[in-house]
Amino acid sequence: MKKIALAGAIVGLGLLVACQPAAQKAEAQKPKKKLTAYEKFRIAFYQNQDKWQRYCSNEAQVVPKGISVEEFKKAMLATIKFPPGGKVMGDWKRGEKLFGDPKKGGRSRRGNCYACHCGDPQIIACGNIGPSLRGYGKKGVDPKQTYMRIYNSWAFVPCSAMPRLGYWGVLKPEEIADIVAFLHSPESPINK
Amino acid sequence: MKKKGLLVLGVIAGGAVAGTLAVAKEKLPEHLRELLELGMHPGHVFVDEGRDYYHNLKGPNGKTCATCHGQDGAKLVGAYAKMPRYYKDIDAVADIDLRIYKCMTKYMGFDPKDKKFKKKYLKTYRVPLATYVASLSNGMKIDVKIQHPKEKEMYELGKKVWFTRAGAREFSCAMCHMVLAGRRIRLQGLPNPVKAKSYNHWPAYRFGSDKMWTMEDRVRTCFRAYFLFLNKWDEKKDWVKTPPFFAKEVIAVELYMKHASNGGVIEVPGLVR
Ligand code: HEC
Ligand code: HEC
Ligand code: HEC
Repeated sequence: MKKIALAGAIVGLGLLVACQPAAQKAEAQKPKKKLTAYEKFRIAFYQNQDKWQRYCSNEAQVVPKGISVEEFKKAMLATIKFPPGGKVMGDWKRGEKLFGDPKKGGRSRRGNCYACHCGDPQIIACGNIGPSLRGYGKKGVDPKQTYMRIYNSWAFVPCSAMPRLGYWGVLKPEEIADIVAFLHSPESPINK
Repeated sequence: MKKKGLLVLGVIAGGAVAGTLAVAKEKLPEHLRELLELGMHPGHVFVDEGRDYYHNLKGPNGKTCATCHGQDGAKLVGAYAKMPRYYKDIDAVADIDLRIYKCMTKYMGFDPKDKKFKKKYLKTYRVPLATYVASLSNGMKIDVKIQHPKEKEMYELGKKVWFTRAGAREFSCAMCHMVLAGRRIRLQGLPNPVKAKSYNHWPAYRFGSDKMWTMEDRVRTCFRAYFLFLNKWDEKKDWVKTPPFFAKEVIAVELYMKHASNGGVIEVPGLVR
C-alpha cells in the first residue's frame, strides 16, 4: 500500500534526523501545509527523541554496552543551566505547588513529583517509584546537587525513570530553585 | 433500537458472556460488587448495543454486518482470538477497531472520506461493535500468529514502540510496565500486561470513569503520560497527547502485546479501574 510505504519513508527520515537536537530542528523542517494528527505524532515520537533517549530504548532500559556511562553523565551535566545569579534556592511555597499542589491532593502537571515520590506526610496519594523524600532537607545534601538532579536526573542516573525536567523545559530554572527550597527549607512540610 | 429485544438478549448474554475481573473483588465499589453478585456486568450493555448494531445498522448499500458475517456473528466466532492480523483485502495488519471501520467503508457503502461518519464510528459504533465481536471469542485461547511479512514488520515495530523512550517525561511502555511493574505511580499499581497476558480481558469496562474501552483506547491514553511535543514542550500549546486512532504504532504494539498473551483465555468484557 502506498500509505505504508510513505510512512516507512518517514520513519527512515525520522531516524536520520534524530541524532541532531531534534526539538529545535523539528520547527525548521516543518512543512508549510498543516500536519495531520499522525504526522504530528510521528515527529513527536521519532524525530524529537534525543540520542540519549535512543540509547536508553533497549530491553533493559539502561545505558547499553559500548556507551560510556561517564561520558553520558558528563554530557548531561553540561546541559544544566542555573537561574540568574546562580541562586539554587527560591521560594519554598511556590515550590510546594510545583512539586504537587496540596489543594489538588498533590497533583501537578508541572513537577508531578508525588507521582513517584512521597514527601509531605499530608499527601498520601504518592507513588513509590523513586525514594521517599520525607525529611530530605535533613540529609545534608548540597542544594546545588539537588538542583542539578531535578534539572537533569540523567546526569546522575542515566536512563532513570525520573524525567530530565529542566532539560526538556518542563520546569524553568527559577521553578526548579523553588522546588529545591521546598525540599531543603526547615519550614517546609517535607522536613517537619 | 429495539429496546425490548435488547433487554431479552441482555438477560441471555448475562449467562453467555462471562466477563472478567482484573481487579480484586474487595477493591470494587459497593454498587458494582452487588451488581456482579447478581450476575450483571456493566460491560454487557455494550455487548448488547453492539449486537444490535451488528444486525440492524444498515449501510448506504443496505447491507448489515450480518449480511456477510452471519446471524449472531456466526462466521466471526474465534476471529478476535487471532487479531490483529494481516488482511489481504485491505493489504494491512488491522486490529478490531480498524477492521470494522474498513468493513463499513469498503463493504457497507459508508464514505471513507466522510469525516462525520468517521467521527460517528469512532464515538458511537466502534466500541459496542468491537466488544460484541470480541465477546464471540469468549472461552477461546488467544492465538496470534506472526507469519505474513507485514505481520513480521508490525511485530518488530510493536516491539520497538514498547521499548522506545520519548517525550518530555522520557517514558516508554516498558519503563512503566516492565521496569516499574509492581510499583505504584501515585496510587495506581503498574501491571505488566505482557507477562500477565492481560490482553484476554480487553475490551474492558472501566468502572472508575464508567467507560468501555478497546485496547486502542487503552494504549492511546497511556501515551498521554509521555508529554510528547511537536516543537518544544508546552502543556497548553504544544502537547501531542495521543497518536490518532488506527495509528500504525498503536496497532503494532497491540500485536506485540497480544502475541505475548497467546494461550490466555479470552473473557470479555473485562472490568478494570
Ligand atoms: C517518573 C518518576 C519520577 C518523577 C515524576 C520524579 N522522580 Fe525523582 N526520582 C525518581 C527515581 C526513580 C529516582 C532514583 C533514581 C534517580 O536518582 O534518578 C529519583 C530520585 C530523586 C532524587 C534523589 C533522591 C535521593 O535520595 O537520592 C530527588 C531529590 C528527586 N528524585 C526529586 C524529584 C522531584 C523534586 C521531582 C518533581 C519535580 C521528581 N523527583 C519527580 C523518579 C521520579
Ligand atoms: C459485504 C461484506 C461485508 C460486510 C457487510 C462486513 N464485512 Fe467484515 N469482512 C468482510 C471481508 C471480505 C473480510 C475479510 C475477511 C478475510 O480476509 O478473512 C471481513 C473481515 C471482518 C473481520 C475479521 C474477521 C477475521 O476472521 O479476522 C471482522 C471482525 C469483521 N469483518 C467485522 C465486521 C463488522 C462488525 C461488520 C459490520 C459493521 C462487517 N464486518 C461488515 C466483509 C464484510
Ligand atoms: C506512566 C506510566 C505508563 C506508561 C508510560 C504506559 N502505561 Fe500503560 N498503564 C499505566 C497505568 C497507570 C495503567 C492502569 C493500571 C490499572 O488500571 O490499574 C495502564 C494500563 C495499561 C494496560 C492494561 C493492563 C491491564 O492489566 O489490563 C495496557 C495493555 C497498557 N497500559 C499498555 C501500555 C502500552 C502499550 C504503553 C506504551 C505505548 C503504555 N501502556 C505506557 C501506565 C503507563
